Amino acid sequence: MPQVKIIAKNFMDMVAALPAMKLDQLYQNAFICEAILRSLPPLAKKYVIQMLYIEEAVTTKSMEEWVLPDGISKHKVAIDRLLQLRIFSETFDRSSGTSYRLNPTFQANLQKHITCGGVLPREPMPLSITARLPSLEDLEAYALEQWECFLLQLINSAQAEKMMNISSSMMRVFQRGLLTQRDKEPPRLTESGFQFLLMDTNAQLWYIIREYISNSEERDVDSADLISFMLELSFHATGEAYNMNTLTEDQRNTLKDLADLGLVKLQQGRKDSWFIPTKLATNLSVSLADSSARKQGFVVVETNFRMYAYSTSKLHCEILRLFSRIEYQLPNLIVGAITKESLYNAFDNGITSEQIISFLQQNSHPRVAERIPSVPENVTDQIRLWESDLNRVEMAPAHFYDEFPSRDVFEAACDFAREYGGLLWEDSKKMRLVVKTDVHMHMREHLRRQRQ
Amino acid sequence: MASAPSKLYADDVSLLVVLLDTNPFFWSASSLPFSKFISHVISFLNSILLLNQLNQIVVIATGHNCCDYVYDSSSLANRSSGTGKLPAPSADLLEKLEEFVIRDEKLLKREPEGPIVSSLLSGSLSMALCYIQRVFRSGPLHPHPRILCLHGSQDGPEQYVAIMNAIFSAQRSMVPIDSCFIGAQNSAFLQQASYITGGVYLKPQLLDGTFQYLSTVFATDLHSRGFLQLPKSVGVDFRASCFCHKKTIDMGYICSVCLSIFCKHHKKCSTCGSVFGQPQSDAASEPSKKRKTGDA
Repeated sequence: MPQVKIIAKNFMDMVAALPAMKLDQLYQNAFICEAILRSLPPLAKKYVIQMLYIEEAVTTKSMEEWVLPDGISKHKVAIDRLLQLRIFSETFDRSSGTSYRLNPTFQANLQKHITCGGVLPREPMPLSITARLPSLEDLEAYALEQWECFLLQLINSAQAEKMMNISSSMMRVFQRGLLTQRDKEPPRLTESGFQFLLMDTNAQLWYIIREYISNSEERDVDSADLISFMLELSFHATGEAYNMNTLTEDQRNTLKDLADLGLVKLQQGRKDSWFIPTKLATNLSVSLADSSARKQGFVVVETNFRMYAYSTSKLHCEILRLFSRIEYQLPNLIVGAITKESLYNAFDNGITSEQIISFLQQNSHPRVAERIPSVPENVTDQIRLWESDLNRVEMAPAHFYDEFPSRDVFEAACDFAREYGGLLWEDSKKMRLVVKTDVHMHMREHLRRQRQ
Repeated sequence: MASAPSKLYADDVSLLVVLLDTNPFFWSASSLPFSKFISHVISFLNSILLLNQLNQIVVIATGHNCCDYVYDSSSLANRSSGTGKLPAPSADLLEKLEEFVIRDEKLLKREPEGPIVSSLLSGSLSMALCYIQRVFRSGPLHPHPRILCLHGSQDGPEQYVAIMNAIFSAQRSMVPIDSCFIGAQNSAFLQQASYITGGVYLKPQLLDGTFQYLSTVFATDLHSRGFLQLPKSVGVDFRASCFCHKKTIDMGYICSVCLSIFCKHHKKCSTCGSVFGQPQSDAASEPSKKRKTGDA
């Protein structure tokens, strides 16, 4: 889905858009350096590792020799990215041309990481204080529940079972762009709202976080601090408890919001309180450069257009309702059918057939995921055909010419229009002509000349 | 060479299996001390793990008498919830390596005869391929696997058959075998391995800069290799060794059924059991053998 890549990379664009001083300050934190390195395109990563111990600047020309002619475009993309994020600094020398050098702070941090191994941002709390921690499965179930509740509340406040602690103003910020509200009508999802629902979890998460961070300035929280805290969070170990008193006030407030999203679980002991990062949090840095979904699928699509979704989640039901007709819901199964009416409904809402098909493919049940193709071809073809049904009529702005004085003038006009490639339709019996708008002015000139 | 298609993670997730040569006879005579070499290798392994959260590394030590796994970055011991540690090659790797070397020495039955002391490359290649096969069967999504041989000992012709079999099976599963050879003369086996499987063979000229060679040439994931200039192989030594005496030969006798190579005329093929005809026999039904030119 093209939308996914754009959103995930937009977070990095946000980082790159920070002023130079703030970015350099960010790089003093070793974890930021690692997270940003992991988000680079593969070729850029290689260049960084290669330049890690080189103190001198390397000329652009010698760098271009590292790639084959096929790879020049990727090379340029990688170099641009590195310059944008101020990892490479450019120097210009009249004799040798432009040359690049690695940002010294960045370089020092990475060198230390490579020789000394990875370090954790903070030590987990000993078991004596935290007693029993929730198991990894419990934690994942908790994270999923929180996230789905949040999403349900986002799109339709009436459906959510429990209310979240997120203030309504925050919710409105998140809903901006996803929902439209007309007076006296319940809020409806916009086109981007639908596309948002069909994206995979990590992309949705990054979208929400991006909105959260861009809104942070209004709440007097420094966005650079917030970004570094988010990236640092992804380096903690899932399921370990970390003391809250190691965080600043702002970070603690952020954590409370993140707990509502399902990224961390907050717990209170007798004296201390701690947070436990879930898989959603630790997967943050993975998804920066990744666009493929890796979670377990649940949908089986059959060749008779029936759909069986092995899921109990309300959110999945809502999403499937977007483009299929839900027939019945069993305790562990949602049965539906993909029909013409349901698809027309989806197309009306702005969802494209590609989005529906890639959603079905990415969420296909493990049983059918191995099959090629995971969604039967007749279903995918039919979805595309139904979409093209709606595009049968093509509109082009044109002008209509009537009442030609004589056949010769009409023929001349036809030929003239044909030469310019603007002839759309002609009727020689009644001497009528339809010409494209961009040729209209030329046609008028031509006819005026003809009359003289 | 493109790697196994579809159902893989994002383009640059890799599984790197490193075959580390720990042959004591080689290292005692090498110009680069083993401790320095290991520090280069550990930095390189750390940089691979840094590039992507999902990258995995497995290190297999190739000894003189045995081979064993000494490090696996995805093993549960590294991710135990009690300590919450990130995968750290240095501590575990060195510990296990020491234990391995001691075990290897104990297995030494007698002093090796002759100047060529080879390590069990065939054994570690086979172990690497088995691990990779297990990963292939572990589910629909798996990382791009590749093998990196950090080798210095000379080739042992007695391992020719086993190594060639391993190379062909790697070619079949589309696993490239890269080699960084730190010994004195080029290794024909490793050159052939890299040539056949589409990997890279490198013999660094300055051993002090091993980390830079490793990070420049061998750190790239398989997808990006299509866009980079990598060292090309020139003059690969394709000579085979005979199956009977394990000598390297240029010309010899070949069984037409199973293509085994012999340096002297035999009555029967030792691999497939086909009976060879008499020299200069023109019986059409029996398998014939190629004649050594110049033979009367």
